[in-house]
Amino acid sequence: MRHVAVRFLVAVVVVVAAVGLHADGPATPRQVAASAARHVVKIYGAGGVRGLEAYQSGIILSPDGRIATVMSTVLDADDIECVLDDGRRFAATLVGVDPRRELAVLSIEATDLPACDVEAGRAGPGTRAMAISNLFGVAVGDERASVQRGVIAAVVPLEARRGAAEAPYAGDVYVLDFTTNNPGSPGGALVDARGRLLGMLGKELRSTASGIWLNYALPADELVAGCQEIVSGRVATTTGPTAAPFDLRALGLVLVPDLLGRTPPFVETVVPGSPAEQAGLRPDDLVVAVGARAVASRHALEMAVGSIVAGDPVRIAVIRDGRVVDCELGPRPEEARP
Amino acid sequence: MNTGWSCRRSVWLAVACAALVAGALPAARVWAAVEPTEAEGEAFRAAVAHVAGAVVRIEPLGDVAAAKDAVAMGPSTGLVVDPSGLILATTFAVPETASTVIVVTPAGARTTARPLGRDAARGVVLLATDPLPDVPRLDVASRRNLRPGQWAIAVGRAWKATEPSMAIGVVSAVERAWGLAVQTDASVSPMNYGGPLVDIAGRVIGIVVPLPAETAGLTSGTELYDAGIGFAVPLEDILHELPRLRAGESTLPGLLGISYLSRDRINGAPVIASVRQGSPAARAGLRGGDRIVAVDGRPTRRIADVRHAIVPRHAGDALTIAVERSTAQGDVTMDVTATLAARLPPWRRAILGVVGAESSTEVEWVVPGGPADVAGVVAGDRIVGMAAPSQGVEATQPTSSSLAGTLAGCEPGDDVRLMLGRSGGDVEVEVTLAEMLRQVPDASVPVAAGDPLVGPLDAGRIARLEAAEIADPAVAVIPSGTAPAPLIIACGSPRGRVEEADAIAWKAVAAMSGVAVIVPGSSDPRQWSADDVPGVLRGIQALDAMRPVDPARIAVVGSGAGGGFAWLVAERLGPACRGVAVLDAPIPRQVTITDAEPGDARWILMGGSSAESVSRLAPDRMRLEAAGHAVGSLPMASELPRELLVRWATLLGVW
Repeated sequence: MRHVAVRFLVAVVVVVAAVGLHADGPATPRQVAASAARHVVKIYGAGGVRGLEAYQSGIILSPDGRIATVMSTVLDADDIECVLDDGRRFAATLVGVDPRRELAVLSIEATDLPACDVEAGRAGPGTRAMAISNLFGVAVGDERASVQRGVIAAVVPLEARRGAAEAPYAGDVYVLDFTTNNPGSPGGALVDARGRLLGMLGKELRSTASGIWLNYALPADELVAGCQEIVSGRVATTTGPTAAPFDLRALGLVLVPDLLGRTPPFVETVVPGSPAEQAGLRPDDLVVAVGARAVASRHALEMAVGSIVAGDPVRIAVIRDGRVVDCELGPRPEEARP
Repeated sequence: MNTGWSCRRSVWLAVACAALVAGALPAARVWAAVEPTEAEGEAFRAAVAHVAGAVVRIEPLGDVAAAKDAVAMGPSTGLVVDPSGLILATTFAVPETASTVIVVTPAGARTTARPLGRDAARGVVLLATDPLPDVPRLDVASRRNLRPGQWAIAVGRAWKATEPSMAIGVVSAVERAWGLAVQTDASVSPMNYGGPLVDIAGRVIGIVVPLPAETAGLTSGTELYDAGIGFAVPLEDILHELPRLRAGESTLPGLLGISYLSRDRINGAPVIASVRQGSPAARAGLRGGDRIVAVDGRPTRRIADVRHAIVPRHAGDALTIAVERSTAQGDVTMDVTATLAARLPPWRRAILGVVGAESSTEVEWVVPGGPADVAGVVAGDRIVGMAAPSQGVEATQPTSSSLAGTLAGCEPGDDVRLMLGRSGGDVEVEVTLAEMLRQVPDASVPVAAGDPLVGPLDAGRIARLEAAEIADPAVAVIPSGTAPAPLIIACGSPRGRVEEADAIAWKAVAAMSGVAVIVPGSSDPRQWSADDVPGVLRGIQALDAMRPVDPARIAVVGSGAGGGFAWLVAERLGPACRGVAVLDAPIPRQVTITDAEPGDARWILMGGSSAESVSRLAPDRMRLEAAGHAVGSLPMASELPRELLVRWATLLGVW
């Protein structure tokens, strides 16, 4: 009888554990790391010269061998190799790229791969997260990718650059409170405390505003949308916006000449009848923000104005007589397009 | 029967199992939900939410766009400390030049703010803007209750005006930078400078600041950003001085003006070696030999205790200093009051005009025409006593370091009495101290007297200074003998890898005088770069291992591009560099000139190859003299005068 009871208890525990795990996914950091690592692949390709790394990371998207990674020089190779968590090696082919999000999809000849569970919503600051990646390429041979942990520091639109070039993607990213801008990390998985995919670690970039190196990840919804576009062949072929960028002239603003490259964006004249005049902008105003974006220089103002989308009203903040004045700029007129 | 039981048992089992599973399911969920990883995230968010309403974004006005490769000024963070519109931010985000900044409230509204007072030591500035009635009251975490290892969260609003960002870490240390700051490993960056560092309950520990590395007690130039080390100045300390800052008063670090006998700046006994002329310490009546036993009632057993008591104080603050002094009537303890100053008058080095070995008080050589020469001191005399009335010092059996300390407190023109041990009997002379030498005397110091290994036939060798990790090591002239050698680092035109032949000209003049010379190479054959400096420092170490270098006689020389590089090396060497001689080389922009201090004063020789070049150096000469360094001239020539420089190097340690 006691024997039966013990067996019974064991059975219950097993059932509960199994049901619990199925209901909520793995829960301890150890389980999360082990589970999430199965979705991460190590990618080896071109590079190794002039300080460029020849490796990065990728995430298994579907059981039939679709792998998401970042678009980079590593993929400029005839032979791209993917090493799975179980140690299997596959030659990969490049399915396509999304130049705006700097994403790429690879394909390997495999079935029944462990595809990951994607978190559909956005996580907020303070969310505990884990990153799994081919960090510094230290996981050699069949070794499992490296695990890091930390929190999401902020969720903000990406304003970043690589060298002097602006990053093409300007949507939201997760800024991470731990160091992921390392060689090999791009393409790695960011997962939450239950192992659900939150996003993909991005490429090395510096913040435009502060010049600091960014630790960030592309949110999962953007990742999935980008990969779907790639797979279905619907990716825009150009990286630029389809409409011509809005500019100061179309706005009707003439600024004080930028002689030293560091002149603050003071308004010199406002073209009569222009959107700027209708918004109430005046000569001698100092422009300090366009929408939520602070502009401290003429260049920053030009960038901010360039990102105004047709149809959206925009608030421009200026300093006039020592006070901040908000000017409401109506929807961008259609005739601003060429 | 048996079957029936079995059947009943199966049914019972199935029912019980189903019930237990159903009951256990929510339990499993609860267990997963309180898994620490998620609970932590919730606690972080709650702590940040507690303070978030008082955290604002600070935007600079005018162009301070990020420089291409630097951590530059962009948006930053501030903390509202009073609903009347008082905001704390960092002097990093609001430099002296800024008369207005933009404040973005948590609701996203932009408004202007103007700086009131600043606290230069802590790097914070108080801003005033319109009343912000909706901000929450801050709870202050008392420093007394902080413990290393407890959670510390740095809250910022620079990433996004409408949502605070957070960096998670722990308190790494409670009293850092001589008590100015709390240390944390939370990732601090320009994005959260000015924001609060809060504990897990949302109580404000302090304001995150980019504390200058020097203040933090680290080597100057250390890059602290993204390095696992960050600082926050305790909010309770700043609130204490809020009335002053609100009144627009700016505070500067307070200086006392003393040096210590001990070289151990941490554990040494707080015994004063010298008191700077015209300093708060001098005005308070402190003297060399006094032992500081308490500051403002806090006992001081070590030099570190004194620094802990002084560094957090401002210029203008009065301190009560208790000292123990030996007098003819025995030891007495007295209290003096010193009012700290923002700036000390530059130290002016006063000399006797003698050269001696580093660790003895024996006179090896007397500068011809110098004060000691005039008073009748001769080579071979031993200084067995010294009285400096201006310092209240009567020293018998002084050591070389106590002599140096007493001299450091004297001014040129002061009279001192020397007791000299001489073979024919002791003599007493009175010497009027002179200003530090400017020009190099013609006569040279005899080579390491008593060092039998040095002779004209065996005047040293040229060797390559092999060192690990250095690709193109420097070559050096290594004089023979064992006495610590003066060292000249000779920076020529950039030439890539140096060959031993490049040192021959120096060997001809230096080796016979017992002077070592390092000739460094540049990594780029066309130009010198700051990256070449570490190789030079490694060269000094390598040389010192082969032949001891006299730490009080290290000089850097160069002409043209090599002169610019010489200034960089000198800056990196800091107080270790006692002389700089340059031809046609103004001070590069990135080099800062620090005021002369005892133990950190330079003898500088400048010159040009043309009258025009010489006149271009005039502003630099004035800057250096104003900072208290001795500046002499090199003859107008297109090449460095090697012989003169060798003589100069031997004289750098003159008393």
